Amino acid sequence: MNQLTFTSKQKRTFFIMMAIGVVSMILTYVLDGQYNHLRFWTNYLHNAVFFTGLGVMGLFILGAFVTAWAGWYVVMKRIWEAFSLFILPGMLLFIPLVAGLWLGWHQLYIWGDSEVVAHDEVLQGKSALLNKGVYTIATFLILGIWYLFAKKMRALSLEEERQGVGENFAFHRKLRVWAAGSLPLIGFLSVPLITLWDMSLEPHWYSTLYFWYTGASWFVAAIALTILLLFYLRGKGYFPHVTDEHIHDLGKYLFAFSIFWTYLWFDQFMLIWYGNVGEETVYFKLRRDMYPVLFYGNLLINFALPFLILMRNSTKKKVGTMVLSAVLVFVGHWLDFFLMIKPGPLAEAQHLAGEHAAGGFMAGFTLPGFLELGTLVGFLGFFAYFVFSKLSEAPLEPAHDPYLEESLHHHA
Amino acid sequence: MNSETKQQILFGLYDDDDQLLDAVRKAKSDHLDIMDVYSPFPVHGLDELLGLAESRLHIAGFIYGALGTLTAFGFMTWVFTRDWPIIFGGKPYWSVPAFIPITFELTVLFAAVGMTFTFYAVSRLWPGAGNPILHPRITDDKFCIAFDTTACEEAEVNKLKNFFEATGASLVDVKEVQEEA
Repeated sequence: MNQLTFTSKQKRTFFIMMAIGVVSMILTYVLDGQYNHLRFWTNYLHNAVFFTGLGVMGLFILGAFVTAWAGWYVVMKRIWEAFSLFILPGMLLFIPLVAGLWLGWHQLYIWGDSEVVAHDEVLQGKSALLNKGVYTIATFLILGIWYLFAKKMRALSLEEERQGVGENFAFHRKLRVWAAGSLPLIGFLSVPLITLWDMSLEPHWYSTLYFWYTGASWFVAAIALTILLLFYLRGKGYFPHVTDEHIHDLGKYLFAFSIFWTYLWFDQFMLIWYGNVGEETVYFKLRRDMYPVLFYGNLLINFALPFLILMRNSTKKKVGTMVLSAVLVFVGHWLDFFLMIKPGPLAEAQHLAGEHAAGGFMAGFTLPGFLELGTLVGFLGFFAYFVFSKLSEAPLEPAHDPYLEESLHHHA
Repeated sequence: MNSETKQQILFGLYDDDDQLLDAVRKAKSDHLDIMDVYSPFPVHGLDELLGLAESRLHIAGFIYGALGTLTAFGFMTWVFTRDWPIIFGGKPYWSVPAFIPITFELTVLFAAVGMTFTFYAVSRLWPGAGNPILHPRITDDKFCIAFDTTACEEAEVNKLKNFFEATGASLVDVKEVQEEA
């Protein structure tokens, strides 16, 4: 089967997931009005950033592999094409956030509050970057540029499918130019975007490793989701040419980049810990003191478990261990983003309200509650619905990709 | 010394790895007892064809690595809490984050060096070890299948020679080497 049929049963499942998400978000909004519905808005931002990032990583993976003349991935490249197109819905997801910033619906970003900025010298100094105009333009312009590349690369790939390789591999040669161009644009433009979306939630704090760290988190999550999707579709009889060797390589990616993520986590932590500068340590002090379960659990789920489970050759090929670690790591990096996004706005809001940041458990902030999980299910359903509908638009195996033959005989 | 016994080896050279794989396949189906296969680089799929068991070197590597972790962490803990406690930058004596980079380095060092020497030992490569090379081009661009024909009768040797001819070996030769202890 080379053509995916998006069955009505799958559609129903994804719609139910989306319904769970919508209900969860409405309930969050209605039930928790504290600090201008902060719990709802942080949940929304958290998932919008996480899932848009998965789309960006789809583009990055394609760009990197095409540029590196890789061949092994070709049998599964449609999955990442489908991921990369999610940048467009991702852009739509940011409309409420941007509108809310202008219209004062939420208080995620204290630099958006002119009264706060008027009394804050640090924020005044950073206002050339941290202001509503830059946030709006950067969000839509950068996502727009990335989407242009994703769309162009997809179009070339489909053109190649319809017309054959073309004279002297014309389509693949063009694809290579676009792929190489996408890499610096993802690398450099992700910095302002991550600064504005995530890091400016705590605008007094900064870290120059944060972008790599966030990017690595996205990347590992994208690989984990790819593995889960491939196992599901292979079970349905699709992707017959994705062998244990391909799965093994994806396992190596999951293993290696989990370690890479840990390396960045520790780098960021140790430099700040050693430097011991107050304006830098606040980030970790807040998380270690108020969110110890997530702070240490983060390292357990995203480093220790995948490291020990996937160390062996054989566990990177077996369905059980691979699905287990992919689920762990996917949820783990969702939690990682939770820990990046949640504490900042809460602390700022409590500070603004003149409250002393109290310790103790706070549902939806200290740990994700059912409403947060419901929101995750909703966004996951939306993402899956989009990816399945894109996958069903083209044959799953790109018949005329010049590297297809290499991929079919892949042996690591 | 009792290792004076000579071993007679019949070998054939092939020009590329595909030819080699085909020949090994044919040898397997003809039930010929291959002594060893030599190639200038690792050939994909050869291990499975020859039915070689998975190497256990990585288990040794894990043990060496864990040993390195314990050595580094234990030593630094002992130095900075018992032997010579010094305060650096206002940090506590037992500052775990500062130990991590060195622990990591020693883990890698122990695993790498330990695995290298284990590999040498298992491959009998120590100073003064003599390793007969059947043909110098095996280390360059030729692929070799070798049979032990010390105890073979004429007919069997001819059968093997026919096998080499049928599979397209570019050179067939016999060499006497010192038997390994």
